[in-house]
Amino acid sequence: MHNKKFEQFVDYLRQKNKVIAPQYDVEGFLHLAELKEIKDLYLGTKLPLDSWKWFILPAYQKMFDYQNQEIKEILPKIRSQIFLGVSILDLQALTLLNQVFEKDAFYQQIKKRTIIIGTSLVPEENFYKYFEKFEEDKLEHLQFDLFLAIQKNDYKIYSGSEDGQRLLDDFGYKDYSHIEYAGPIREEGLDPQMVAVKDAMQNRHNQKIWDDLGKRCMQCGKCTIVCPVCFCFRMFDQINLEPETGSRNRCWDSCFYNEFTQVAGPVPEAPKHRFFNTTAQKIYFWYEHHFVRTPTSFSLPGCVGCGRCSRTCPADIDIFTTIKEILRK
Amino acid sequence: MHNEYKTYNCKILKINPEAADSKTFTLSVSYKGFSFEPGQYVMVSVPGFGEAAISLSSDFNEKKFFQLTIRKCGTLTSAVHNKKVGDYLGIRGPYGRPFPIDLAKGKIVLIVAGGIGIEPFRPLILDAIKNPKKYKKVYIFCGSRDESTMLYAKEYPAWKKVCDLSLTLDNPKSKKYTKGQVTTLFDIKNIPTDALSFMCGPPIMYKFVMAKMLEKGFKPENIYVSLERHMDCAQGVCQHCAIGPYYVCKDGPVFSYVELINFKSWLSPI
Repeated sequence: MHNKKFEQFVDYLRQKNKVIAPQYDVEGFLHLAELKEIKDLYLGTKLPLDSWKWFILPAYQKMFDYQNQEIKEILPKIRSQIFLGVSILDLQALTLLNQVFEKDAFYQQIKKRTIIIGTSLVPEENFYKYFEKFEEDKLEHLQFDLFLAIQKNDYKIYSGSEDGQRLLDDFGYKDYSHIEYAGPIREEGLDPQMVAVKDAMQNRHNQKIWDDLGKRCMQCGKCTIVCPVCFCFRMFDQINLEPETGSRNRCWDSCFYNEFTQVAGPVPEAPKHRFFNTTAQKIYFWYEHHFVRTPTSFSLPGCVGCGRCSRTCPADIDIFTTIKEILRK
Repeated sequence: MHNEYKTYNCKILKINPEAADSKTFTLSVSYKGFSFEPGQYVMVSVPGFGEAAISLSSDFNEKKFFQLTIRKCGTLTSAVHNKKVGDYLGIRGPYGRPFPIDLAKGKIVLIVAGGIGIEPFRPLILDAIKNPKKYKKVYIFCGSRDESTMLYAKEYPAWKKVCDLSLTLDNPKSKKYTKGQVTTLFDIKNIPTDALSFMCGPPIMYKFVMAKMLEKGFKPENIYVSLERHMDCAQGVCQHCAIGPYYVCKDGPVFSYVELINFKSWLSPI
C-alpha cells in the first residue's frame, strides 16, 4: 500500500473510531494520544513514553454500582478504538496481557472494541534482540489485528484477525496476507534468555545485588506505572453522597507501596502486619514477578526489553545492568 | 462472559458471639454449585467497605447453610459486626486449594492450630464427629493467648468425644490449662510420626512448630500448612498474594511443606 493510500486509510479509520497513535507533544515528548491530524502521526523507531496498557487496562475502572444490597455489573462502555503504530515489543506486552486477562469480563469488553495495528520498525531500545530486524515468520507468535511492514515508501499489510480483515475489506483494500496466530511460544521452544534469567534468580541468588538496589531505590513506583506489562491492581469500594449507594472499583496498584502486603495484625495491640518492610524485598519482588512468576505461569517473558523503567527511574537504576549482574556467574 | 467478581447476597440466619472479638455468622447458601472443602475461603464484602478473605468454618456436608467466624479488626469487619439477623453479606467463592483430607481417610490426623487458626479446621472436626470411622484418630493441638481468646470453647466437650483435644495457653488464668506454646504439647503427647499434619496459625508459630516436628521425626511430605496474605482478586491476577512462583489465593492457601522447603526465592514464604 503506497503512502498516499495509507493516508486515506488512516482518514478512513478516524471516521468511525478513536485512533490512538504516538505523537510528539508541544514539549517534544513522544506520547500516546488521540490522533487529530494525520501529519501528527509518528511511525518510527522511538518508543512512546506511555505504554498501551493505559487504553486497554484503565488506571481506574468502575466494576459494579450498588444500591442498598443490590450490586449491578457495569461493563465499560467505550468508543471503538484503534491502536495505530504499536511496536513489536508492545505487541509482545499486549499478547501477555491478553493471556493474563483472558477470563476478565472487564478487560475483554474493552478488547472487543479495540483494533491493534502493529508496525515492523524495530525500536532502538530493544534489549533482548528477539527482533533484530523484521522477519515475517515471527509474526505468527504475536497477537494483532493488522500489521504494517514498513518499507521505503510503501507498506505491506498483514491481517491477524477477522476484525482486521473486515476493516480492510470495508475500506476496499484486498492486497494483504493473513497470519494465523500460532500461540505465543515459538517452535524452537521457550526463549533461552528468559529461561537463563529465571534459573539464575532461583538457583544462584546473589544477595549483594538486592541489598545495593535496596539502598538506591526510593520505592516511588514509577517503573510499575510505565512498564507495559505491570498489571497489579487493587479493589476498593467508594461511597456516594446519596445514601446506601456507591461503587466497587479497581485501580492500578504498585508492589512498592507500603500497603501492598498489609493484612490485619494478630493481636489488637499490633493492628496491622506487613510482609514486606525493606526496599530490597520490594524491588526483589518486582523482578521476581517479571523474571520468575510470569515465565512460570505463562511460559512467556515478563519483560519485553523496552527500557521504559530504566528511562523513568529517578535513582538511575537500569534494569538491563541488573539482569547482566544476575546472569554473571 | 461469566464475571468472576460478581458477589451474591447471602442472608444472615444466625449470629453467635465468640471469644477473641469474633462472631460466627450462619449464612444461607444462595447460589448454585456452592460447595467447599476444609481450608477454602470466600471473599466477604459489604457494599461501601470492600472485600476480605475469610475461611469457611462450618460442616462441609451441610448444603443449605455455611458459617464464617469473623474477627473485628478493621473498617470492613466492623461493618460486618454491625449487621443483624436478616441482613445480607456479599459472598463470592469458594476459592483456594483445600486441605487434602482424601489422603487422611483411615489415617491418624494431627491438627496444629494457633489462635484463630482453628477456624479452617472446624469443618474437618465436625466431619470427624459426624463420621467417627472416617479417620483413624484425630489429634488437635490448639494454642491460644488466654481464656478470653479460646475460639469455639463451648464446642470442646463435643469435640473431645471423638478427637483427642489438647490445649495450651500462653497466660492461663486458671490452673486447669497447660501453660506454654503449642510446641510444648509435642513433649507431653506422643503422636505417631507418620501422622498427616495440618497447620494454621501466625507465621511465627510455623517457625517453631516446624523445628519441633522435624526434631521429633515427622516427615515433610506429611505436613501441610495454611498461609495467609493480602488478597484482592482471589484469582491469581492482582499479584498481592504472590510468593515465589505461587499465588496464595489460587495455589494455596494450603501448601505442602515439601513445596515450601523447595521454595526457590529469597523472600521467605512463611
